[in-house]
Amino acid sequence: MVVLSAARWVRSRLSDRFWRVQEVLKYARHFRGRKNRCYKLAVKSVRRAFVRSTKARREKKRFLRALWITRIEAASLEHGLKYPAFISNLLKSQVELNRKVLADLAIYEPKTFKSLAALAQRRRQEGFLAALGDGKEPEGIFSRIVHHH
Amino acid sequence: RYVRQLQRLQLLFSPSAADARGARQFVEEAAQDFARQHPDVVLYVSPHSGPGPAPVLRAEYLNGTVREELIASKTSEEIVQLATKLANQSGLDIIRIRKPFHTDNPSVQGQWHPLTNKPSILTVQGPRLQPQ
Repeated sequence: MVVLSAARWVRSRLSDRFWRVQEVLKYARHFRGRKNRCYKLAVKSVRRAFVRSTKARREKKRFLRALWITRIEAASLEHGLKYPAFISNLLKSQVELNRKVLADLAIYEPKTFKSLAALAQRRRQEGFLAALGDGKEPEGIFSRIVHHH
Repeated sequence: RYVRQLQRLQLLFSPSAADARGARQFVEEAAQDFARQHPDVVLYVSPHSGPGPAPVLRAEYLNGTVREELIASKTSEEIVQLATKLANQSGLDIIRIRKPFHTDNPSVQGQWHPLTNKPSILTVQGPRLQPQ
């Protein structure tokens, strides 16, 4: 007979110790080996698992950012731009999209991403002209900066 | 317009047990005010005589979830606070939400596949050219 509610006064062999042990073992059920059955081994493993999960929250942010950068790099290489050029030229054209959004656009909205890559390429060319042409030609159209006050 | 997700609150307690004192005080003093303040929640008070299971406050929601909270050895004010907390909840189960967003249509322009940015000669099959 399985008793589901601890509130009822239980007339069976399931003592308080059973429930205390189950509280720990329920977090160890998907482990490998004897740690998912034996309490003494499970206590150590569950504690380490919790510690690792709290520490991993800081690393998850780093990991996801690296994943986004890889994806943006792959997408921009398809359009003929390298990642540093893409990001720096987008920032210079005042397009402040973060890497998460850029990665999502690259996956779900490929045409938008293509236009962003074209924008970055154009800004790059204007940057080269401004640096090498030296002064007589007017500044490029996409190099203009909008000031928000 | 706001629709309260709590359907009914059942107060199950025994009139002679010692730990149901807070429940009895709640029924005598605060239950009517609570019922008046929350007109769309039905409050059932069912005392069962003699020693029995522990006093419990059972909340049923519009999506069918039933949530039971122990009120043994709680004061009347604590039971009022518990009842208001249950009344403000929805019946969704209280687990970790993996993502705070969800879309049914994530892609408007068509999801990327390896042939999106390749020249269309690879995918399009035109009419077969006759040898001349």
